[in-house]
Amino acid sequence: MNAGPGSKEDKKIKLSIDLVLDLYSSLLIEIWEIVSSLIGEAILSLLLNLTTQKLKDKYPFLASLKITEEGIAWNKVREECRTLSPIEAHRGFQSLINHLFHLFSALAEGVISRELFPKVFPKVKEAERILFPK
Amino acid sequence: MSFEIKEIAESAGTNLSNLFDFSSFAVFWKEGPTLYLYQDESCPPSFTQEVKKNIAQVWSVLGEEQIDVDRMDLQIEKPKLKPRAFNIDSQATLKSHLTLPLAIEGEIFGCISINSEQSNAFDAQDLQFFSVIGSQMATTLKHFQRFSSVKTMAIYDTLTGLFNRRYFEERLGVEAQKAFYGGASLSLVMIDIDHFKKVNDTFGHTEGDKVLREISSLLKTSVRKKDTVARYGGEEFILILPEAGIEESLMIAERIRRLVENGPFEVGRARINLTVSLGISNFPTHRAKSKEELVKMADQALYDAKRGRNRVCIYNPVSH
Repeated sequence: MNAGPGSKEDKKIKLSIDLVLDLYSSLLIEIWEIVSSLIGEAILSLLLNLTTQKLKDKYPFLASLKITEEGIAWNKVREECRTLSPIEAHRGFQSLINHLFHLFSALAEGVISRELFPKVFPKVKEAERILFPK
Repeated sequence: MSFEIKEIAESAGTNLSNLFDFSSFAVFWKEGPTLYLYQDESCPPSFTQEVKKNIAQVWSVLGEEQIDVDRMDLQIEKPKLKPRAFNIDSQATLKSHLTLPLAIEGEIFGCISINSEQSNAFDAQDLQFFSVIGSQMATTLKHFQRFSSVKTMAIYDTLTGLFNRRYFEERLGVEAQKAFYGGASLSLVMIDIDHFKKVNDTFGHTEGDKVLREISSLLKTSVRKKDTVARYGGEEFILILPEAGIEESLMIAERIRRLVENGPFEVGRARINLTVSLGISNFPTHRAKSKEELVKMADQALYDAKRGRNRVCIYNPVSH
């Protein structure tokens, strides 16, 4: 039997999705702050848009991230993710971050990564620990 | 690579050398099907090759088309960047780089990079400076690109690629000044395609436009370097021939008449013969007092030529 709206199962899924979104939004805000101070908002938003475009076939919900020079707007993606499994959302965001890191290292070798890793890597680990407790 | 882009790249390269310690500065630029790489003179070929490969790789990582480095049509400009002279070992290899996309409004049109033969040559502060310069450069390049397309639209006739009437008026002003005040000779040749309406009516306007383009290119190749060929309107063209007397103008006009007459022109699936009529006016021979009068005289000579068609007439004050 499928869990109806408002059921315990449904709440659990919503909670998990919200958790995934909260974790990754704070992670991307952190990345935004560090990298935009290095390469500027215009180039960073361009790189983020390129990455979400590249991944949209596999993770269509990423296309609803609204990225401008002002930052990343999450409203639409939160709506889109309502019906998404937390694992799927996690994989999509993980892929987005991996692609971004790949782009950063192609452009500036270790310069961006050196700034990013100490601050962002512990957060990635923490996110994984929260999402997949042993 | 256009003159403006070279100027901007050279200026950026020169200024960057005062800010960073690097081995080479490169600008990678896509203009139509051609990819340009701008790099300073002192780069040894092996280093250039590595920069080329690296920048092409970044280009494809950025989601642009894959580039086969060995096959790409790459034009390498190597100016000397001043004031600093780069001295790279001929055996040097590329060890580190900073590369940024040149983009405006989400459109990537190139990349810039600074490259070094030293490992870990750049730090976060270098990247900050470089990104500011990169975004300034992107804005300037885009501005020049827009400016040059506006400039092109303002002086060229879009159908034929010849100068437009507006540019003709402007150019004539300059040449008339030189002639009237400097005493040099100046001729105008006004040209009209005979029975052009028939071409449009029989084959349609698309084919008519094709004929206009063919005749335009024939005109361009029939004149001297210093002459101006413009579309005057419809199927009428005008030539400004500075320092050309009556005889020389007549020679040019006759050459054009014969070339058109010997056609034939491909229109749709047919091949047709066409002719043109041409009228010549000249300063000082015809004693025009203004550029407007000189144009009017060429027009009147054309009117005379039109009475028989497929001929060249020189302005004759008696018949007007």
